[in-house]
Amino acid sequence: MISFIGRSVIQKIITLFFVSIVSFLIIHIAPGKPSQVDPMNPKFTPEMMERFQKEFHLDKPLHVQYFYFYRDLFTGETVSWKDNQSVLKKIWERFLNSLPLFVVGTIITWTLSFPIGIRSAIYRGQFYDRSATFLSYLLISIPGFFFAYVLIIFVVNQFHVPVIGMETFGIGDGASLPSIFMDRIWHLLLPSVLGATGGIAVLSRYVRSQMLEVEGQDYIRTARAKGLPPEQVHYKHALRNALLPFVTMFGLILPGLIGGSVIIESIFSWPGMGRMAYEAILARDYPVILTVNFVSAVLVLAGTFISDLLYLVVDPRIRL
Amino acid sequence: MTIRRFLIFAPILLIIVLLQSYFWVPTYEEQTKGNPERLNEYIAGSIGDASLLNPILSADSASSSVENMVFEGLIDRDEQLHFRGRLATSWEVFEEAYFYVNPSADVPGLGKPNPETLVDFIKKTKQKNQTENRDLKDSLGCITDISVLAPKTSWVTKPFKYPTTGTQKNIKIRIQAPARIKLILNRVDPDFFQNLLQLLGKNYFESFNGKAYLMSDPQLEKERIAEYAGELLPAVEHNPVLLFHLRPGVRFHDGHLFDAADVKFTYESIMNPKNLSPRIADYEPVKSVIVRDPLTVKIIYKRLYSPAMGTWGMGILPEHLLNHNALEKEAHRLGKDPNKFSMRQSSFNRNPIGCGPFRFQEWKSDQYIILNRFDDYWEGPPNYKKYVFRVIPDRLTQEMEFYAGTIDSYDVQPHQVKRLEKDPRFQTFSGTALGYTYIGYNIRRKPFDDPRVRRALGMAIDMDKIINYVLYGQGERITGPFVKQTDYYNHTIKPVPYDPEGALTLLASAGWKPDKQGWLTKDGSKLQFTLITNNGNDLRKAILAIAQDAWKQIGIDVHTDLLEWSVFIQERVNKADFDALILGWQMGIDPDLYQIWHSSQTNPYQLNFVSFKNKEADDLIIKIRQEYDHNRQVQYCRMLHEIIAREQPYTFLYVGKWTAVLDKRIVLKTLDDAGHIRYKKITPTKTGSYSFYFNKWIKLPETPSFMDEG
Repeated sequence: MISFIGRSVIQKIITLFFVSIVSFLIIHIAPGKPSQVDPMNPKFTPEMMERFQKEFHLDKPLHVQYFYFYRDLFTGETVSWKDNQSVLKKIWERFLNSLPLFVVGTIITWTLSFPIGIRSAIYRGQFYDRSATFLSYLLISIPGFFFAYVLIIFVVNQFHVPVIGMETFGIGDGASLPSIFMDRIWHLLLPSVLGATGGIAVLSRYVRSQMLEVEGQDYIRTARAKGLPPEQVHYKHALRNALLPFVTMFGLILPGLIGGSVIIESIFSWPGMGRMAYEAILARDYPVILTVNFVSAVLVLAGTFISDLLYLVVDPRIRL
Repeated sequence: MTIRRFLIFAPILLIIVLLQSYFWVPTYEEQTKGNPERLNEYIAGSIGDASLLNPILSADSASSSVENMVFEGLIDRDEQLHFRGRLATSWEVFEEAYFYVNPSADVPGLGKPNPETLVDFIKKTKQKNQTENRDLKDSLGCITDISVLAPKTSWVTKPFKYPTTGTQKNIKIRIQAPARIKLILNRVDPDFFQNLLQLLGKNYFESFNGKAYLMSDPQLEKERIAEYAGELLPAVEHNPVLLFHLRPGVRFHDGHLFDAADVKFTYESIMNPKNLSPRIADYEPVKSVIVRDPLTVKIIYKRLYSPAMGTWGMGILPEHLLNHNALEKEAHRLGKDPNKFSMRQSSFNRNPIGCGPFRFQEWKSDQYIILNRFDDYWEGPPNYKKYVFRVIPDRLTQEMEFYAGTIDSYDVQPHQVKRLEKDPRFQTFSGTALGYTYIGYNIRRKPFDDPRVRRALGMAIDMDKIINYVLYGQGERITGPFVKQTDYYNHTIKPVPYDPEGALTLLASAGWKPDKQGWLTKDGSKLQFTLITNNGNDLRKAILAIAQDAWKQIGIDVHTDLLEWSVFIQERVNKADFDALILGWQMGIDPDLYQIWHSSQTNPYQLNFVSFKNKEADDLIIKIRQEYDHNRQVQYCRMLHEIIAREQPYTFLYVGKWTAVLDKRIVLKTLDDAGHIRYKKITPTKTGSYSFYFNKWIKLPETPSFMDEG
């Protein structure tokens, strides 16, 4: 067990190192320069651009820049080129904004897709199953932004309440604590529902297929033949075995923390990670892009690690 | 079973909890009508967040719109586009002119001059006032003072490249400058020295041998260092001067008094290379800024530079918060190295203090910026109590918020204007923007080197239809490179007509004739090229398709391509690797177009990427840059406009109209002479600044109905 953990950690660190090199190279090889060095501004002279280049160490060879960047990253000194703020601080702030959205979205996805998927599997082929299938495919096909616009217009026109932003603008002055809290929850509702719709559609299909696979096994038939009540068969025996892959999936949703959804965040003016990363890419703000990349790589590797451990715990057939 | 019940209950509970929050949220009505404070706030919506709230460091429009509220400059432009004083009450523009005493010249009537005799000669000629030449008389009439600067010796270090070996070394040059005459003129006269030649003899300045006074260490031949003579010992020098008288009693938001030291500090900060200010190029011609007394500042320029006046609209920084000591203290407080700590890292940029009508309160990144009314503002406090800048990146949600009343203004798109125009709750006004969209042709490549081809390509496109259908009428034709609402623009020039037949005739005269399939060919090769533009701009995308089709109709085979902005600029525009492209320019009022049209700016990474080279145009551009007299400048600009319209290096497409949509309840509130409150409708100014009287705006509780414009 300890040796497994040790080996795993070392492997992951090596992978992280390679990821850092590759992402660094990609950013620098991609055409386009940081917007500070924007030559379309007639006021920029070649000397200005040169000075910016020096300031950002862009004139040094790549491996030197790589070294500078990662040294700054580990000492916490990386600074965004766009507005000179500490990158780690920026990421942390945005992360805290994205977190509730992500958490609520995940909770909605998982709590809704399991009942739907399980029921689909149990009553396979009947009306419920077919309508659930149809709805799933519908939700997968509708583009997220389109659905978002439709929902926003509907809610605003019918109910006359604001939906964008993290909180109703201007509510901070003079409202009671519970209503501020509830206001936040309302603003969380629509974006997370939208983020969840795609997830529910996919996940419920997956749950259904896993359940079907397990239900087809011999031991389930045996259990039913023995006369166990159907509820016990489904929930105590079949479900537990069908859940195995989902346990591992659970570890892999960790990287989703950093992604956020650019589209949802843009539409709802949610100041989150995804939007920040997207704008940094457009402005070629290298420190921010590379840091976000690095953090997300760390999270992916941590996620896979956690999945491995969870699988160990859950499946008694696995012994390391 | 418990699992099953859990599986059913958990989602239901969750949904109920989430949905019940709806009842706690204030509706739009409660926010706007139920909240009387809302009338005192002006909320502007923006797609992007500001980057730095420091006018000398920021380069994006979101930052500058907030900076305009927080900071104030010395001057700005009024509704007629004339300069009006803000932090400056008045100003004088005059000139200090210098020329060297040239002992080898032969002055008619004087012989070989020495400093004293030369000065006497000029003074006497001026007094006698008998010269027939009017120009000379005018120029002499400008002189208010003449003095002699004694000869002096100085040393400079310059880098020198040995032509034979190519190595570069620093050499010291000793300048033994002869006596110099300094003249103070009461206005800027670009032709002064030309006119003086009538008096001093035609060869006076030409024959001034600068290199005779230079000596280098290590010793080099005079010919080698001759190239420095023009720079170190110019025969003539114009030093225009701007003298500003500042307004007394103006305070910064923290109570500190504003004075000339702040102006000087702002200039020095811009020029400080550590600060990496994007505005350095505007202030590079400044020779020195002198503080005469706390309310007078004198700015001397190195050479004639007429855009100078316009650059002093720059927001003035508080010296007491950003000078060396303050930055050092801040560096120590943050535990950073004071030597590396520059203004860019200061927290001032997130917490600015200026002299403007609104003071900064709070900035939540990517969400909003709040400014409060500044009660001690020198012009009187603005009517609005709060100015809020909200970041809403999506255009549809901006429109929804506007409709609901939680933002007061935003960047309305043309198709949205059409929708909102009909709503009785809103008022719209529009004007032409400061800039234009065009198709640029790479004149270095065939067939674009022939002006007939360029003109014909323009004639094949139906611009009026584009303006009506793509822009929904929110645009106007434009024929030249100047801002349409200024007098620099030549309104007599007609736009290129939509005439495909005429285009074919023109092309035929250039040698392009249709072949059997209808494609235009010359010497066996088809007329074929690629038109490119940047991604993300729907208007340009539409024009791309329309232009391609229009040209196909007359037999030209055009391919199109859309590129991401950075790639577009870096790989195509900067390296001049394109056939034709669609782009736009955004400009200021100033007519200085050197960087875009002068033939010296055609190298890679420069802005004359179409490679327009015309000697007449070059001369005019330089003259415009150096001309301080407005009427003459207008004349030159109109001539330049004519040349460019004739040569058609661009097909000038359109100038967009900006439209602002505002709630009808927002009006101008002024006090008339009797002290009564009068309300007036808002009308836009020529520059497109409908927020010109922003400080006087107020939102009334009900829609007013105006009886007359009085």
